[in-house]
Amino acid sequence: MLLRIDRLTKEYQRGVRANDEICLEVSAGQVVGLFGHNGAGKTTLLHQVIGLVRPTSGSIHIGGRDAVADPVLARRVCSLQPQSQAPLEGVTPRQAIEIMARIRGADRRRASRHATQMLDALDLGEWADTVGQKLSGGVRRLTAFCMAAAEPGDIVMLDEPTNDVDPVRRRLLWQQIRSLADDGRAVLLVTHNVVEAERSVERLVVLHHGRVVAEGTPAQLRGGHGDRLRLEFTAADLDAAALAAEFTGGEVAARTGRRVVIPIAATEATRAIAWAQHQRDQGRLDEFSITPTSLEDIYIGLVDAGTEGSRATRVA
Amino acid sequence: MRHALRSYRLLVRWNLLRMRTTLPLLIVYQTILGAGIVVGLALLVPDPDPTTARYLTTGALTLGLVTIGMVAAPQMVAQQKLSGIFDYQRTMPVPRLALLAADATVWIALALPGLAATLGMASLRFDLQFTISPLAVPATLLVAACCVAVGYSIAYATPPEVAAVLTQLILFGALMFAPINYPAERLPDWLATAHNWLPFTYMAQVIRETVDVPATGIAVLPFAVVALWAVIGLAITYRVMTRRA
Repeated sequence: MLLRIDRLTKEYQRGVRANDEICLEVSAGQVVGLFGHNGAGKTTLLHQVIGLVRPTSGSIHIGGRDAVADPVLARRVCSLQPQSQAPLEGVTPRQAIEIMARIRGADRRRASRHATQMLDALDLGEWADTVGQKLSGGVRRLTAFCMAAAEPGDIVMLDEPTNDVDPVRRRLLWQQIRSLADDGRAVLLVTHNVVEAERSVERLVVLHHGRVVAEGTPAQLRGGHGDRLRLEFTAADLDAAALAAEFTGGEVAARTGRRVVIPIAATEATRAIAWAQHQRDQGRLDEFSITPTSLEDIYIGLVDAGTEGSRATRVA
Repeated sequence: MRHALRSYRLLVRWNLLRMRTTLPLLIVYQTILGAGIVVGLALLVPDPDPTTARYLTTGALTLGLVTIGMVAAPQMVAQQKLSGIFDYQRTMPVPRLALLAADATVWIALALPGLAATLGMASLRFDLQFTISPLAVPATLLVAACCVAVGYSIAYATPPEVAAVLTQLILFGALMFAPINYPAERLPDWLATAHNWLPFTYMAQVIRETVDVPATGIAVLPFAVVALWAVIGLAITYRVMTRRA
């Protein structure tokens, strides 16, 4: 196990528990996704691993060695893409990536080769030689990813790497994240993008108020929700409320303006389609869809349940 | 050690790249300031005797170093803290001292053209003949290092807003109320006593006596005090830099 975090707790002076008895493991070749609301303690966790924040209690081991006692080791072994933008004023993406690769130990030729490879892989060639202050937020974010990943440590930690990035390049970015793991790195990434992450991560960890409220593979987290579907439709405001009340085959409907989502059992699918089709023919409903319950729904459900004070549901 | 030197080299390169646009401006500013202080002080004191002229010239050199190390450098660090660069650098796999040394190198190099301008302008304006000691170069480097170390310790240990105010106060104090451009005897007793503990008197003396060696020779004590202040500044900076929240 490359990264082993055991009962890690960080309590700040004001008594705020940013991390509360967190246990987490990431092995070489794995991508682990860390989810949670803003302020759930995700960044604090990464900062403890890299030695910017000292844990109140608990342990962090990197390759079996105590990383709390040896922050220099942590910085050498871990590459971090921080949540804040990388310092690119006056520097082009190519220069920044090359110099970070060299600082991480690559020689000049290797750094140059890797920088070019990464810039090509993320389709950033157009901006490779443009200075930082002229770059968009997305390009800066991707550059920061490359700075962490061009000559990566054994552990790569990415704090919201997909923010501001356009959909096409987000796909390219996920491929690169995946290939880091395929090359034997342990990847720990923080993201809010549950839907996209689901396709690339081995395991998911959901944090809420500093606690792990769920952990497992995407399939494990789905668990009992595997046979659940959701009926989603849009209608005029008044009709939406009436329709939500009229459909009887599902659970409690959630309505947001014109949009209604009703969880249904898979066995109800045929009837739900017929009902929705009928309503559309009547002109009461604009469009509808039936989809499997998404991991995002489950995540929101977990976090909402956590808000009510329930203890961790561990799915593993 | 090899890792530290390699890191240092790359970090200097990284700093130079990042400051590429501001560096020429800062050098021009520093050069104008260096020459300007001499010209400006000559307006204040229209016909200075040789001792006063010596004070004004060497004081201008010290003030040049104070401006760079205790004002410009900490203000840039404060800006870096606000923009997140500070935390970014702290995650890099480089020795902390290499990081500090790389920063200091750029700041000290930046101050040098201004010093040359000051000396040039002073010898033109006051028609001075200096007996420059070979120690002038290490003395200048020591004072510059002390300024940067103290400036960095302020920027690292205080919030950016406080650092901005403190550095302005230092500049004002050094210019008007420190025995840099004039002898300490002219200060009120309490302020002169305070300056026995602050670095300004000693920095000015180190520069003054190495740029124009007095008949009594170069005093050693000022070197020791300036070095001590440099070490204190460095220790505070290093401590804050390695501290984990």
